[in-house]
Amino acid sequence: MEYGVLVDTTRCIGCRSCQVSCKNENQLPAEVTQLAGHDTGLTNPRKLSAKTFTLVQYHEVDAPDSPGGMRFVFAKRQCMHCDQPACVSACPVTALSQEKHGGISYDEKKCIGCRYCVWACPFGVPTAEWNTLAPRIRKCDMCSDRILTDVRVPELNGQELSGESRARIETSYRLPACVKACATGALLYGRRADLLEEAHRRIEREPGRYHPHVYGEHEVGGTSYLYLSAVPFDQIGFRTDLGTKPYPAYTATALGFVPPAVVGLGIVLGGLHLLAQRKAFVAAEERERAESARNGGETP
Amino acid sequence: MTNHWIDLRNSDCVLIMGANPAENHPISFRWVLKAKERGAKVVCVDPRFTKSASQADIYARLRSGTDIAFLGGMIKYILDNDRMHRDYVVNYTNASFLVDDGFSFDAATALFSGYDEARNAYDEKTWQYRFHRVDPDARPETMTPAQRTEYDRVKALADAREPLKDPTLQDPRCVFQLLKRHFARYDAATVSQVTGTPVADLERVYAAFSTTGAPDKAGTIMYAMGWTQHTVGVQNIRAMTIVQMLLGNLGRAGGGVNALRGESNVQGSTDQALLFHILPGYLKAPRASQQTLDDYLKVNTPTAIGRNSANWWGNTPKYMVSLLKSMFGDAATPANGFGYDWLPRLQDSGNYSWMHLFDEMYEGRIRGLLAWGMNPACSGPNSTKTRQALAKLDWLVNVNIFPNETGWFFEDPGLGIRPEDIRTEVFVLPAAASVEKEGSISNSGRWMQWRYKAADAPGDALPDAEIMDLIFHELRALYQAEGGALPEPILNAKWDYFREHGGHREADVRAIAREINGYFLKDVTIGDKTFKAGTLVPAFGMLQADGSTSSGNWIYCASYTEAGNMSMRRTREPHGIGLNPEWAWAWPVNRRILYNRASVDPAGKPWKGTIPVVEWVGDRWVGDVPDGPWPPLAAEGGRLPFIMRADGHAALLATGLKDGPFPEHFEPLESPVTRNPFNGRLQNPVAARFRGELDKVAACGSDQYPYVCSTYRVTEHWQTGVMTRNAPWLLEAVPQIFVEMSEELARDLGIRAGEQVRVSSIRGALTAVALPTKRLRPLQVHGRTVHQVGLPWCFGWRVPNDGSGGDSANLLTPCAGDPNTTIPESKAFLVNIEKIDAVTQSAHLLPRRRNA
Ligand code: SF4
Ligand code: SF4
Repeated sequence: MEYGVLVDTTRCIGCRSCQVSCKNENQLPAEVTQLAGHDTGLTNPRKLSAKTFTLVQYHEVDAPDSPGGMRFVFAKRQCMHCDQPACVSACPVTALSQEKHGGISYDEKKCIGCRYCVWACPFGVPTAEWNTLAPRIRKCDMCSDRILTDVRVPELNGQELSGESRARIETSYRLPACVKACATGALLYGRRADLLEEAHRRIEREPGRYHPHVYGEHEVGGTSYLYLSAVPFDQIGFRTDLGTKPYPAYTATALGFVPPAVVGLGIVLGGLHLLAQRKAFVAAEERERAESARNGGETP
Repeated sequence: MTNHWIDLRNSDCVLIMGANPAENHPISFRWVLKAKERGAKVVCVDPRFTKSASQADIYARLRSGTDIAFLGGMIKYILDNDRMHRDYVVNYTNASFLVDDGFSFDAATALFSGYDEARNAYDEKTWQYRFHRVDPDARPETMTPAQRTEYDRVKALADAREPLKDPTLQDPRCVFQLLKRHFARYDAATVSQVTGTPVADLERVYAAFSTTGAPDKAGTIMYAMGWTQHTVGVQNIRAMTIVQMLLGNLGRAGGGVNALRGESNVQGSTDQALLFHILPGYLKAPRASQQTLDDYLKVNTPTAIGRNSANWWGNTPKYMVSLLKSMFGDAATPANGFGYDWLPRLQDSGNYSWMHLFDEMYEGRIRGLLAWGMNPACSGPNSTKTRQALAKLDWLVNVNIFPNETGWFFEDPGLGIRPEDIRTEVFVLPAAASVEKEGSISNSGRWMQWRYKAADAPGDALPDAEIMDLIFHELRALYQAEGGALPEPILNAKWDYFREHGGHREADVRAIAREINGYFLKDVTIGDKTFKAGTLVPAFGMLQADGSTSSGNWIYCASYTEAGNMSMRRTREPHGIGLNPEWAWAWPVNRRILYNRASVDPAGKPWKGTIPVVEWVGDRWVGDVPDGPWPPLAAEGGRLPFIMRADGHAALLATGLKDGPFPEHFEPLESPVTRNPFNGRLQNPVAARFRGELDKVAACGSDQYPYVCSTYRVTEHWQTGVMTRNAPWLLEAVPQIFVEMSEELARDLGIRAGEQVRVSSIRGALTAVALPTKRLRPLQVHGRTVHQVGLPWCFGWRVPNDGSGGDSANLLTPCAGDPNTTIPESKAFLVNIEKIDAVTQSAHLLPRRRNA
């Protein structure tokens, strides 16, 4: 848990650059969404999934003493990268593991699809794909590729950059994609210890601005992602009932017995989904064929 | 922007009004938050609690279309509480100027002097200054020496066209006193009745922003279409400019009047004159009565008013002739007025802006349209009229990077005309996207930044310039073969920026950039330096009116010199106030803060305690590029800061506007209220209006259309959404049109969150997803409750192609607008909202999106 990200929601303007740049970095497909207009208004997609590793949630909070009598708070959500991750300890085959920088990453080659991690995570983060026969578990891994592998020497118009420009590009590459995309500095990547210090400094300097709590400092034994907020965390959708005890301690016993049926169910559900997809695909093709017949045989 | 993005961080108070930069210009918030860190207050005024409001220290809501009332109250507050920066006001604005005795404003009729009922227009004669005069019949040779001295003094002032002034600002006929009287009616209680803003909130905003009247404080204003898209759009900006003049905030670091442009290169597009009324560099477009170049120059070259005025537009002949040389090359000679005859001439009072064009098209008087990089079927007001107008064309050329609604307007399910009954021939030309070609963009801060090509364009898509080149060559060949009416403009055009490359003609954009800068066409000696023919002109100060220089756009002269393409520069400023003079290039002459001579006192020293922009040290300026080389005002040969005005002063009282020299509150064309407590008239008498069968307007106070509606954008979608609706990740975030309303209104109407509802104006209707929110609240206006709603205009029926996105909010907006700019009033109009009975009216529901 050496590194982490400090999310200062008081500096976030909800632009969703982080959400979209995450999709780009991980080449995740778009979800088909509708506006449902729950209390989170324009939040979309509605939750983290195998297609969405980072998500900005919108919250409208009553706050009589604030300008306009309310707060409009945006919170970027993703895997918290726990110091003692329940998901890792739940995984029977070490498909999930903690990287040097603190990110929890996943190795699809090892995964057997049991989904223990899905049930183990206190934040409901890991999700399995449904539209494939060999569903992977998908979630944020704190951009371990960007941070842990060597960077190609940056070029400008075919020429290798050097000096200050090179250093600048290299440092900006060695950041999680979301942090790099953040326009306002709401996201800060760095050593977790430094981030904690910074978070407390901010609270101390502007006590009126912050709710006096750094979320993730102690929750479930500490997480790499740390949050600052103007309002109590339960008002912006964070679980405040998790305690400070690391989760593996519970999960070891709670998940000691997962009936194989659960594993089987996952596979069956995945299969059903595929079947439905196939049907939809065939129907679409038939429609198209019928249409092009009407158009005199030409495909539009 | 008079300033630039980074400079926002230098501000002590940032007023965000008529804009939502956190949503639409998210990067700006990097700098706004830096200002906050330095202790700046952020003030946000908006009908809706926006993302920008979420970062504000003070938030006030107001009813759409009442900004002048709000700002009029601020002007009164500043004057009543003596918050103004007096030295600045006396020296740099026209506050002290005496005005013609005939000038008046009658609150009963809401008319300024000079209104001509028959023309529905003003004659500005009485809005002028009074000047020093000598009796033309006086005989100086008969005078006593004392009389003679006095006579000579006054004659010198009269010859210099020096206005009469009262620097004490006490004369009842000086601009300052007229201003004070004009806004005396805008007391907070009345303002609150009109805007719906609680008095306490008004006063909080006024108090916070007017602290920047202290000479050591600077306040900035960020505005956008929330101010311009009104029947009083220009006067909204005027009102704010008056505030900034009184507080001494123009020309200052962290100050200015900052228009946030809605597209990355829209600044560039206006600079290069993609508008009917100007030529490149804001030269005026020729009018029919200006038959010769001399006529044109006579009308458009002002003479200086007063001795210390730089009167920069006095250089118009140099810029105009250099432009003509750039357009027509060797064919432009002194004998043919440098080809002036080949420029199109506008009718003297002709208006060829958007709404007029589409009105003419609807009436069948325009036969063809090149819709280039735009989507009129969704972007213009009153989409029904726009789309029906397209159906009356003979031909339509649609150039875009994606198929859009305009090119397929005949498929619009709501058009009401069967495709087989439409005779318009549509040509679709695929264009390269911005990253698929090289070139420059100019941002809101006037920075011209070079961009390199990142990827090849797909398929047959070509850069716009190459599409134009293909069309140009076909046209030229036709004119060569057939002659035709006035072939000269095309035959004589200098068109040598394209080269053969790999079997096709490729645009040499660097050659175009050099042409825009301009060349010496002959050896020219200026002072003790001779510039060789064929070299690039170093700066517009060297442009000539005799045809020895060319420049495609005088304000860009200095952007590409013998030292290279300045817009390619990428050196960051190591320390300083954020000017970054070696990063890219800013027009004019790399000046980063316009009117920066107002950042210093008349002796050339920065106003005490301020962040210095320029400073007169010894015999020269240091800091930013000053507005002209002259010494500071108080020195011999010194000049005033507002160099683009003939009198050199910022104009508290302004001529040249169609609706009056001072702003005055009028209701939007469609308003929920039926009275105006400030004057005896409800609406701007000279607003641009259309009276065709589709130009319906709801009556003020209408029961049928009771809610005030505004349109806006979202971060995820760009303009009408052609680019972004085709980007699945963005469509995922904002998949369809929604209408935001207060929780109270939703409750009254029995509407649940996420339910589809019908939103209608007298012109059209659409289906949208209801999003009740705390961020809109009912307003108390004239003692009754008024509801404000709003929706984004980034959707169209064609993409997503199952129709689940909905259609353009512009189906609702009116064809009516500002009399000066004819921008449409899209920010305040009336609508109704109804539940859709899902059982009997399911045909109106947006399709559920299918899992692809
Ligand atoms: S948040 Fe969940 S998925 Fe992420 S590390 Fe913790 S337990 Fe694992
Ligand atoms: S990019 Fe930054 S400001 Fe934008 S939503 Fe994400 S965290 Fe917030």
